[in-house]
Amino acid sequence: MKNKLIKNLNQLLLAIGIIILSLLVGAIIISFSGNSPLEAYSTMFNGAFGSKQRFMEVLVRMIPLVIMALGTSVAFKAKLWNIGGDGQFIVGSILAVSVSLYSGLPPVIGVPLSIIAAMIGGALWSGLAGLLRVKFNAPEVITTLMLNYIAVYLLSFLVYGPMMDPLGSKMPQTANISTAYRLPLFESGNRLHMGIFIALFIVVIMVFFWKTTVGYKIDLLGQGEKVTTYSGVSVKKMIVFTMAISGLLAGIAGWTEVFGVQYRLLEGITSGYGSIAVVIALMGGLNPIGILISGFFFSALLVGGSTMQRMTEIPYSIVEIVQGLIIIFIIARTAINFKEIKNRITRRLSNVK
Amino acid sequence: MLSNIFTVSFFVSLLASTIRLATPILLPALGQTFTQRAGILNLSVEATMTIGAVAGFAATFFSGSLWLGILSGMVFGMLYGLFMAILSVTLRANQVIAGITLNILGAGLAVFFYRVIFGIQSLPPQVEPFKMLKIPFLSDIPFIGVIFFQHNIIVYLAFIMVIVTWFILEKTTFGLKIKAVGENPKAADSKGISVNKYRYIAILIGGIYAGAAGAFMSIGYLNIFTESIIGGRGFIAVSVVIFARFLPIRAMWGALLFGVASALQLRLQALGIDVANQLMLMLPYALTIIALVLASKKAEFPSAYTIPYSRKER
Repeated sequence: MKNKLIKNLNQLLLAIGIIILSLLVGAIIISFSGNSPLEAYSTMFNGAFGSKQRFMEVLVRMIPLVIMALGTSVAFKAKLWNIGGDGQFIVGSILAVSVSLYSGLPPVIGVPLSIIAAMIGGALWSGLAGLLRVKFNAPEVITTLMLNYIAVYLLSFLVYGPMMDPLGSKMPQTANISTAYRLPLFESGNRLHMGIFIALFIVVIMVFFWKTTVGYKIDLLGQGEKVTTYSGVSVKKMIVFTMAISGLLAGIAGWTEVFGVQYRLLEGITSGYGSIAVVIALMGGLNPIGILISGFFFSALLVGGSTMQRMTEIPYSIVEIVQGLIIIFIIARTAINFKEIKNRITRRLSNVK
Repeated sequence: MLSNIFTVSFFVSLLASTIRLATPILLPALGQTFTQRAGILNLSVEATMTIGAVAGFAATFFSGSLWLGILSGMVFGMLYGLFMAILSVTLRANQVIAGITLNILGAGLAVFFYRVIFGIQSLPPQVEPFKMLKIPFLSDIPFIGVIFFQHNIIVYLAFIMVIVTWFILEKTTFGLKIKAVGENPKAADSKGISVNKYRYIAILIGGIYAGAAGAFMSIGYLNIFTESIIGGRGFIAVSVVIFARFLPIRAMWGALLFGVASALQLRLQALGIDVANQLMLMLPYALTIIALVLASKKAEFPSAYTIPYSRKER
């Protein structure tokens, strides 16, 4: 127990080190552009933590991102490269909003039904990629990506066409879902909604999920298909199932965003959450608690970054640059064998002597 | 109604745009044929093209020279390829993760530097793009002339590169070595071919092609740069290589297939035909999935595809 704690603490310290290093490289790029890194990072920090309002906004952003990153982690653990979180989020949202707008059911039945619809939508979209992988050997990394583009245009088609708000002013969005369907807010005046409990609840579920037989089998899948075959699991079924679970979570992420924040479907509803979810999942070491922490950090970075863009001359893209750098350093950290380098250096030093 | 749409002139302009729109997929696909043959799946082509588009646009904007723009796209494409080479070859990182990461970083870098260089302007800065180069005599042939011989020079060069790429890969020892490090790195290594060196070269060549294609988008096809200028073409190019079974000539047919899909959408839109535009825009992406489904089972991936090479793990 104590060893595990030390190991986790080490990992946390390492993560902090990597973040600092990435921010330093980011600072060089910012100063290269003729701006002050100090100004950039201080407005960013203030933008995320400067007031209660802003801090709440970080939590709002964190809800779908953490859920989606948990979904990504399920696939990645099995070495299935589902990078179609955006598409699964969108298709889940479309089905969920359809239930709430057109079913006419009372919220007692309609709300649970809309969650189920979101899960089905997400799971279908990713499960399809899984199916194409096992049936036709089509690489899921490409098919999930292509399904993203298809979902984006499908959403655009729907909000400009059949699902457009009939009473609205021809804006590309659906009508608002009725108040009874919405996730309740904590307090009026900021956007934090009860979805935060759903996100935390799913984190807890995922902690236990990895201890179940199913979780263990997914883990095995990542360690090579042969192992899984030996333990008597049908690899093909397992691949489709894992992909479906991964997309199911992205679908729930879509549900929280639509029913907690937007209250309607509109174009650009995911705003690239999918790739951020990948970063969060990797930074969190594909571990639920790790994902919760890294999800909080990246949400702060996003919210702070958009404040920075509004208040300074520095483009928001620096946030993406820092995200990329963080993962590069993580890759480098796991790839570079420090012991070997240390040995080599000591050997060289002793040679000099 | 249909006879009004599908006239001869419609088909002629459709096929002409097919060739034009195939170009930014053909070039990166040819480059990735080298890369993937060497055993490297480089998903960061998408970002490499975006970087090429900014680099090409900026160079042309400030120098006034279009060729300098293409060159700049190639150089920066190659430099960005270096990141992938370091991550996937030297550090032996998982290629999918490296590719995804470099896409996020590259998109950020491209847009950051575009914004820093050009600031926020109400009208996007423009350049005078490559002009149409009519091939004498040939361009006067009815129909054929318009379809094949009235494009800008980069389009012609891209199609010439099909032959060049095929020749290098199939007829030279250099091509043989590239294929060897992707097919059987251990055997290549034992024959004294440096696996890492040839994988680096294959990735850098892929970067050069992708950078040129990115520059083509901003100074050859359009005359501006936008964040979404590449719009998934890099990813499509990666899949074209796979379902072309890693052969340059087939990659050309693949690129033309996507050219048709995009051209159809543009042409129908230009005619003001009310097929929901968004559904037409899905076509190239849906086509990619269908093509992968049809071809992946038969595709013979290089034996060491996506597998990092290490001498120790013999």
